[in-house]
Amino acid sequence: MANRYILQITLLLSFSTVSLSVSYNLLQLQQRNSSLACQELLKKLKGKPEYCHDDSMDFKFPEEIKQPQQFRKEKAALVIQEMLQNILDIVRRSFSNTVWDETIVKNLLLELHQQIDSLKTLLKEKLEEKGITWEDSKTIPRLKGYYWRIRRHLKAKHSSICAWTVVQVELFRNFSFVNRLTDCFQD
Amino acid sequence: MLLSHQAPALGLLSLCLMVYVSLALNTSHNTPESAAEKCNFKMTFRKYRLILSWELKNRSVVPTYYTFGYTIMSKREGMKTVENCTNITRSFCDLTDVWQDMPETYIPMVKGFRGETLLVLCLAAITNLDLSFQPPDFRIVGYADHINVSVQFPPVAPKIYGEELHRHASLIIEEHSEDIDKRHEPKISGSFSGNFSYVINNLIPNTNYCVSVYFEPRNSRIVIKPPLKCVLLQLPQESGSSKSIKIIVFIVIFISVAISIILILKQIGYVCLHTEFPKALIFRNFVVQIFPERPLSEEVNMLEVISVHRKKKVWDYNYDDESDTEDEAPLRTNARGYTMHGLTGRLLSQFRPSSASSQASHPEDPADEESEEPDKETEPLFQPLAAQGPSPGQREGPRERAEGLPHNRSPKDDDSNSTGGSGDKITFNVDLNSVFLRALHDDAEDSEEAALVLPPQEEDPQETESSLLVPHGKKLQVLFPSLPPGCLWTGGDLSDKSDTTSSGADDDVRDGYIMR
Repeated sequence: MANRYILQITLLLSFSTVSLSVSYNLLQLQQRNSSLACQELLKKLKGKPEYCHDDSMDFKFPEEIKQPQQFRKEKAALVIQEMLQNILDIVRRSFSNTVWDETIVKNLLLELHQQIDSLKTLLKEKLEEKGITWEDSKTIPRLKGYYWRIRRHLKAKHSSICAWTVVQVELFRNFSFVNRLTDCFQD
Repeated sequence: MLLSHQAPALGLLSLCLMVYVSLALNTSHNTPESAAEKCNFKMTFRKYRLILSWELKNRSVVPTYYTFGYTIMSKREGMKTVENCTNITRSFCDLTDVWQDMPETYIPMVKGFRGETLLVLCLAAITNLDLSFQPPDFRIVGYADHINVSVQFPPVAPKIYGEELHRHASLIIEEHSEDIDKRHEPKISGSFSGNFSYVINNLIPNTNYCVSVYFEPRNSRIVIKPPLKCVLLQLPQESGSSKSIKIIVFIVIFISVAISIILILKQIGYVCLHTEFPKALIFRNFVVQIFPERPLSEEVNMLEVISVHRKKKVWDYNYDDESDTEDEAPLRTNARGYTMHGLTGRLLSQFRPSSASSQASHPEDPADEESEEPDKETEPLFQPLAAQGPSPGQREGPRERAEGLPHNRSPKDDDSNSTGGSGDKITFNVDLNSVFLRALHDDAEDSEEAALVLPPQEEDPQETESSLLVPHGKKLQVLFPSLPPGCLWTGGDLSDKSDTTSSGADDDVRDGYIMR
C-alpha cells in the first residue's frame, strides 16, 4: 500500500522543496530591499550621533546573530521575525515622545508590518511541516534580553534626544544584521 | 521716587544681560555642530581601497596639516587615532584595514592645524549608506557579433569592512545601443580577483554599442557609473590573399569533382575517350598551318630518270612460280596495297632540299615535287630501282625530291647502277599517286603528250596494272576514273624533245607485267 504512494509523496516533497526554495529567494530579495529602506528612513531622523557619543551604550547584541553562517533557513526566519517585531514595538513608543518625525515613523512602521507578515506566512507553513517551535531556539531569549536593555535605556535617560539617537543608531545596526540573516535563505 | 524712574532701566539692562548670556551659551553649545558642518566627508571604495576624504566648506581656511581619529557609536570607547593619518597634509585617510565592521556607525574626527593652532574640527557619523564604489577599470573589444569585456581585479581579493567585496557589491555590465539597453549581472564564482572576462553575445553587426561597468552596492543606493566606452561592430574584411586562397581552393575542388565524375562515367562506359587526337588538334604544325611559310624558292633540278625494263611480277598465288628474275625488284607493298617503285635519278643541278614535313603535308600536290622540270637540254631518264630498303613513311606516299646529276646517261649505265646504287645516285620512293609520267616520242606528231598519272595500286595488282596503262594510239593514257580531271597533268611544260626509251609506245600489259 505504501509503495503505491511513494512516488506521489516523493513528487510532492520535491515540488514543495522547490516552491519553498523559491519563496526563500523571494523573501531574501524582499527583506534586503525592506532593510535598506528602513535604514534610509532612520538616517533621515534628526538625531546627530556624533554629538551623543557620551550617551552611547553597549546593549550586547547576541554574538551568534552577528555571524549567522550556521543558521538554517527556518531559524534565520524566526530570528528575523523576532527582531522586526521588537523594532516595531520600539518605534511605536516614539510616537508618544514626539522625538522623531511622524511621517518618517509611519513609513518605517509600514515597512516593518509588510515584512513581518511575509515572514509569518512562510514560517507558519514551515514550522508546522517540520515541527519546529521558537522555544527550541536559545537565540530568541537572548534577543529578547537585548531589546529589553534598549527599552530600559530609554526609560533611564528619560527619552532624551540623545537617548533616542542612540536607539536610532542601534536600530540602524539591527537592519544590517537582518541582511546577514537573509543570506542564510540562499541555497 | 528715584527707584520708580530707574525700574525700566534696570529691567532693560537685565533683559540685555539675559540675551547676551543665552547667546553665549548657545554658541558654546553649538560648537560641535558647527564643527561638523565645517567639513564634507566622503566615504569611497576607490581602487579597491576604503578611503575617507574630507573637504573644508570654508576654503579660506587652509590648515597646514591634519590629524584623523575615529570612534564607534555602539562602543563606549574614546577617540582612536590612525597611525598613517596623523599629521598629514593630504585630506584623506586609507581605512581599508582600520574599519572592519560594516554595521557600525563610525564617528570620524578631523583636526586641522596651522602650526600649533587648531583651525578647524570636523565630526561626522559615517554608515554603510554613505559608502560609494568607484567603477573599476575595464576594456572592451568589439567583434562582428559580440563584445568582449575584460576587468582587471587585484591578484588578491579586495576586502571592505573585513569582508570580501562580492558580499557588499555586485558587478554590473550595461549594454547600450540605439534602441536597446541591457543590464548584465555576471555570476562571479568566489571573489573579485584576477582577470575577469565577460562576452556580450548576439549583437547586431555594423551597429554601435556602448558599454559601462560599475559596482552596485548591496547596502546603499549610491551608484557611480563610469563614462561609456563605445565600439562599432564591423564584419571582418577578408584580405586579398585569403580571398584568392578561397578562390583557388574552390577551383581545385571543382576541377577534382569534374575529373572524378568523368572518370566514373568512363568506368561505367558512358564516356569513351579517344586516345588519338584528330588531325585538327595536332598543333605541331599549328603555326605553320595558320601562317604558312612561304614556299622556299625551289631550285629546279634536272633529273635524269633512267627507265629500266623490269618485269614486274604479279603473284598469282602459285608458289611454284619461279620465273622471277633476280634482277627484278621485289615488289614492296604496304598495308594499303601500294606497290613501291624505286626510281633512281641523278641530280642534274644542285637543289635545295626541302623538309620532308612539307612534303608530307602536301600529299595532294605531287606535281609540285615530283615533276622536275628538266633542263631543256636533257631528258629525264627513269630507272626503276632495284631492291631498296623500306622507304621511310610509306603511309601517304612519301616522296623525296629526286636528285640527279645534270648529264645524260645511257640506260645501260643506269641499269648497272640500278641495283647497286652509287654514291651519285639517290634512291627515292615515289608515290605512284603523285607521279606524272609523260611518254615522249620523237615523232612530231607526238606533240600531244600523254600524261600518265599512276593511280594507287589496288590489292589485286594484276587488275590494277591492267587499268593503269591503256594504249591510246601511240600514246599512253591512263584511266583514272576516280581522279578529277584537274589531277591529270598534261605535261605541257616539258620539252618535246625529251624522249624516253621505249617507254611510251610499246608498253605491253600482259601476263601481269608492265613493260615499258
